[in-house]
Amino acid sequence: MLGHIFEKVEEGFISLLIVGMTLLVFVEVVLRFGFNTGGVWVEELVLHMGAWLILFGASYGVKKNVHIGVDAVVNMMGAKLRRRVGIIAILLSLLYCGLFMIAAWNYLAKLYLIGIEMEDLPIPSWLGKSILLIGFAMLGVRIFQLLINVLQGKSTGFVSHNEAEDALEEIKDQVVETGAKKPGREELDSVKNSSGGGGS
Amino acid sequence: MTIAALFISLFSFMFIGIPVAISLGLSSLVTILLFSNDSLASVGLKMFQGVGSHYALLAVPFFLLSSAFLSTGGVARRLIDFATNAIGHVRGGLAMASVLACMLFAAVSGSSPATVAAIGIICIRAMVRAGYPESLAAGVVMNSGTLGILIPPSIIMLIYAATTEVSAARMFMAGFLPGIMIGLMLMIAIYIFARIKKLPAQPWPGFPTLMRTFLAASGGLMLIAIVLGTIYGGIASPTEAAAVSAVYAFIVAVFVYRDIGPLKAVSWRQEGEALSGAFGRNAQQMLMAFVRLPTDSDMRKVVMDASKVTIMLMFVVANAMLFAHVLTTERIPHEIAELMVGLGLEPWAFLLIMNLLLLAAGNFMEPSAIILIMAPILFPIAMQLGIDPIHLGIIMVVNMEIGLLTPPVGLNLFVAAGITGRSLGWAVRAATPWLLILLIALMLITFFPQISLFVPEYIDSLRGY
Repeated sequence: MLGHIFEKVEEGFISLLIVGMTLLVFVEVVLRFGFNTGGVWVEELVLHMGAWLILFGASYGVKKNVHIGVDAVVNMMGAKLRRRVGIIAILLSLLYCGLFMIAAWNYLAKLYLIGIEMEDLPIPSWLGKSILLIGFAMLGVRIFQLLINVLQGKSTGFVSHNEAEDALEEIKDQVVETGAKKPGREELDSVKNSSGGGGS
Repeated sequence: MTIAALFISLFSFMFIGIPVAISLGLSSLVTILLFSNDSLASVGLKMFQGVGSHYALLAVPFFLLSSAFLSTGGVARRLIDFATNAIGHVRGGLAMASVLACMLFAAVSGSSPATVAAIGIICIRAMVRAGYPESLAAGVVMNSGTLGILIPPSIIMLIYAATTEVSAARMFMAGFLPGIMIGLMLMIAIYIFARIKKLPAQPWPGFPTLMRTFLAASGGLMLIAIVLGTIYGGIASPTEAAAVSAVYAFIVAVFVYRDIGPLKAVSWRQEGEALSGAFGRNAQQMLMAFVRLPTDSDMRKVVMDASKVTIMLMFVVANAMLFAHVLTTERIPHEIAELMVGLGLEPWAFLLIMNLLLLAAGNFMEPSAIILIMAPILFPIAMQLGIDPIHLGIIMVVNMEIGLLTPPVGLNLFVAAGITGRSLGWAVRAATPWLLILLIALMLITFFPQISLFVPEYIDSLRGY
């Protein structure tokens, strides 16, 4: 339940950022071409919103399996080996998060000591860039959750994003309507092996 | 040593299933910690620059948003109707119309697999019903669907531009002619095939019908005109054009076409309704629709779809920037370049080797990842050999197109197998004859730089440079 609420908050924040960025740039273009005015601060603000979108969203991406990976090799392994390799992959990813959290901390600490503000906005620079630490910490937590799931046997590790699946998902109403197979990951795998049939 | 550590760690990380973004970042970090004096704080700085300093890259979320609004079945249907009415009356016309529809939809959506899915689900069936072999129908759609990454606006081009610091606007200009060329080559091949196999032609629908379908499709077509017009005319940067196109796509999808969102299936004019009554009702409903936007499930899905792809792509980009930073500070590309020049390698031989390398890489990696890893290495070498950066970019993009059609990662093959209910092997066989045309086009584009450079240079001359 708590996880569900947190997911809604995550999605709300992500949507707010991407829609806000689009509207800010759009309004800036309209003001500049229509009324010959506009703020230089828009560029800096939108760039920071973009950084927050990516780093805040990175952990959400792990949960929703949106990150791309190379699964050709892993798919050839047997279940037991695959699980072990999956755990190693997760531990290395946790190392990545840890190292980047240290890097982010060191960088932010320097910015805090210098105490400069952002170029066009009256916000301390370290605050604008704090998502660096927050984002990698969140990513670490998500990957740690994945580790627990793998250890409990609920998951086999990272699942790579499949754009083909997304594209088929988009048109699934039409596919059902016209009587073809309903696509999905299992279906795609079985399509790979079977000699097919149906269709026309 | 450094070079070995960087690449061996990168590929081992990727092959054990670590996401590409994390593999890139971790291998760079390991290399920095082992072989360089850079502090971790400077790595933090680099990472923030990767996510938050490339204004040109912000075109990516905006284009993804606009494509998410217009990648609906309704838009595909309108473009197909228009294309079929325009060239369906020629022999093999339905297949040629599929190529045209793919080109138009690709320009609107910018995604190859999405194009194959949206156009394929309608066109493959229509062609089979009209008496075309199913393998031809699927092969044509799979191949013309790859034009999505070559015909601007293209996400892959934005990523190439950001990695190599060439102008995204010029890349968008350069992709136009090669895109049209490949489309025409496919159509000519279809025409010859149709003559031999005596494939049917559709009846000529008459000019009024053609105009009516053109008007219906113009909501999508206008987007292409707005984006390319403002960028080619030098009025707006790709980022600004993308933001405008996202807002435009939202208005067209929600208020004009009404395929998705709160006004879904609300007709402009009900039967027997007076014009003034319809006007008042529409105005009121549109106002109400604005209020309902944030809670509408279609809207939330479109925005989150675009966000997910944005997060995935940009997180890879940010880590790849760190990777590229390690490459440059260790002078790895320069050493390879000097080695190659020292061996007396001719530019054409380099391009040939590069094509083979990229085609091989296309077999197991996604286009965006390949560009991000390979461009920082290949770019300095190409510069040493005097190859134009824009030309190089177009060659790489065409290579990526072919990668979409080769197993095991060829995304378009999976989509075609999914919508026809056939096997992946069948999809490979269906795509192969037409793939040869793409390979010929790749050779032409590689060895005749003018195909890519004509449009950007012509626009330069118009502006008086």
